[in-house]
Amino acid sequence: MNKHKFIEQRRPHWKQFEETLRNGSRSSLSKLPAEDISNFSQQLREVSHDLATIRSRGWGHDLISYLNDLVARGHNLFYSAPPTNFAGFYRYLAIDFPRLFRANFGYFLTACLLFFLPLGISWYVVQNNPSLANRVIPEELMARFDTMYGEESPLNSVEEKTDDQEETDSSEDTSFGSFGDQRATMAGFYINNNVGIALKCFALGILLGIGTVYTLLFNGIFLGAVSGYIVSQGNGDRFLSFVISHGSFELTAIAVAGGAGLMLGNALIHPGQRKRFESLQVRGLEAVQIAGGAAVMLVVAAFIEAFWSPSDIPNLVKYVVGSGLWLLVFLYLGLAGLQSDSRLVSVRNRERTRSHETDHSGKRQR
Amino acid sequence: MISTTIGETNTTPAVISPPENSNRREVLGLEMLIETPENVILTYQLAGPAKRYLAYIIDLAIRVALTLGMMIVVPMLGFVLPGTAMGVLLVLMFLNTWGYYTISEGFFKGQSIGKHICGIRVIRDGGYPITFWPALLRNLVRNADAIIFYGVGITSMLLTRRFQRLGDLVAGTVVIQERTLSLPRKPVILDKIQPLNKNEIGSFLPRDEVLSLIDEFIGRRHVLTYDRGHALAAVLANNLAERLNYSGDPKKLTQYPMAFLAAVYKTFSFSQQEEEQEFVSAYHLRNQTAEVNLE
Repeated sequence: MNKHKFIEQRRPHWKQFEETLRNGSRSSLSKLPAEDISNFSQQLREVSHDLATIRSRGWGHDLISYLNDLVARGHNLFYSAPPTNFAGFYRYLAIDFPRLFRANFGYFLTACLLFFLPLGISWYVVQNNPSLANRVIPEELMARFDTMYGEESPLNSVEEKTDDQEETDSSEDTSFGSFGDQRATMAGFYINNNVGIALKCFALGILLGIGTVYTLLFNGIFLGAVSGYIVSQGNGDRFLSFVISHGSFELTAIAVAGGAGLMLGNALIHPGQRKRFESLQVRGLEAVQIAGGAAVMLVVAAFIEAFWSPSDIPNLVKYVVGSGLWLLVFLYLGLAGLQSDSRLVSVRNRERTRSHETDHSGKRQR
Repeated sequence: MISTTIGETNTTPAVISPPENSNRREVLGLEMLIETPENVILTYQLAGPAKRYLAYIIDLAIRVALTLGMMIVVPMLGFVLPGTAMGVLLVLMFLNTWGYYTISEGFFKGQSIGKHICGIRVIRDGGYPITFWPALLRNLVRNADAIIFYGVGITSMLLTRRFQRLGDLVAGTVVIQERTLSLPRKPVILDKIQPLNKNEIGSFLPRDEVLSLIDEFIGRRHVLTYDRGHALAAVLANNLAERLNYSGDPKKLTQYPMAFLAAVYKTFSFSQQEEEQEFVSAYHLRNQTAEVNLE
């Protein structure tokens, strides 16, 4: 067939396909009637065929690039990403995240070692020798800790009754309102600060894990020194009752994020049977889902830290609830998503054999 | 003496290189090849660092503007509950810092506002659109890329074939350039050009690729100056004339090589091939009418 004849014959089809693309990109393809979709599928295959024909015959660069773009657009529309929704989010928190976490438990343990060990050591050292604290903690921060947890601590002055409700705006009560109002600022601050630290701790893992190790060690030593200093000043009871509740989510989450960061670094150092970058991609996609879970845990921790921990509740209750929260965290990470393992594992294996891409949710809907 | 050395240097690489590259064409440049499920090779044009930097600057400006806007608007809303407003502001700032790219790329088909303006897009390196997790991953790792004013990211981009920064490498994504569609122009039909006289040429048949090349070259002739156009055309024209054993007016060849090319094009792409392929196209036409009847 001659080039001109070919173009003359196919041009109306191309124009029609272009029109379909324009309509399709405006609304999602899934909203079109079934007939249009099968039509579109046929058109895509036809145009793909035209492209292959023209390529093999070498009928000109312009034509190839035009058809190439046409096919590329159709390809993007046809194989578009599945919609994300809240059901997916719930599934992620209830099943996927704890499962991925357990599958990569070793990294978490390593991160715990890098975080809790220096924390414990610096706590022990500083508590027995408080003069060392100023080596780690800036002076003004030390003064602030003294007032925060000292005799006239704001932790004692809060008179309003409160509960561990997480939404503040819903409350009409003014006395609670002003307390909740102050605390909401802190919630925002904790989210901004802590989640930021955890995410950075994860992201820097790409530098062969060095960034993660540094962040974990630094935060461990710092937190240990702060704790040791405050306890050594005789404010231990107020401090411990304050931190025990949110510490459950917060400290665990930092170790979880650190573990995810170590996964990134280790994927580069020990790629196993894969190529280095391939291993980075496969494990990176798992690691980011673990880090995402850590971020959610830190948001929960921020609300507990802002609204429950500073509230005027007998310390005994705080210790009991705090221990309960620790237990809850362990149970969640240890047991969530165990129930339907056999069924889902078979699904996952099927996906793995189909392709080495690990984007499960994306694959399933295609 | 000189001519032989030139001949040697020219031929040695030509002899060695074909067996290496004969079945696999190494593409050097901005193109990325992907094989679709329809078994067709698609090429995407990769976006270079300069364009991505521009998009980054635009996004940066937007993010700064968003921060300023929030700082003005949220406290104004916060007369009733100043503390809550402050908390909301901090959360929004957090989202602006950590979520701007993830949300825009994860939920708006791989384009942040800056990328949209620059006409570039993030896709998975398998040619698929980007989803939430890869978007989050590539933008969390942005922190590592941003070290020394994106020095790490730029270094990584220059060292990888597909201009991938670390975040792209981890998430398995590439940034491509979007092209605007333009219908291919109808092949140039040169009414005034006479096809070559059959008695003046031999039996050589130029390949389709050569004819398309002539077609595209003539279609773009206005881009070049008159002299330059003819100078470029002369290379191919002389070569073709030699192979065709052209025995017609040599002035046609030396003075107006472009016209000669056009004549070659007209000779082969309209007459001979058409005769040869007559029954093939007839067959296709029959098929088409059959298709129409079926529909």
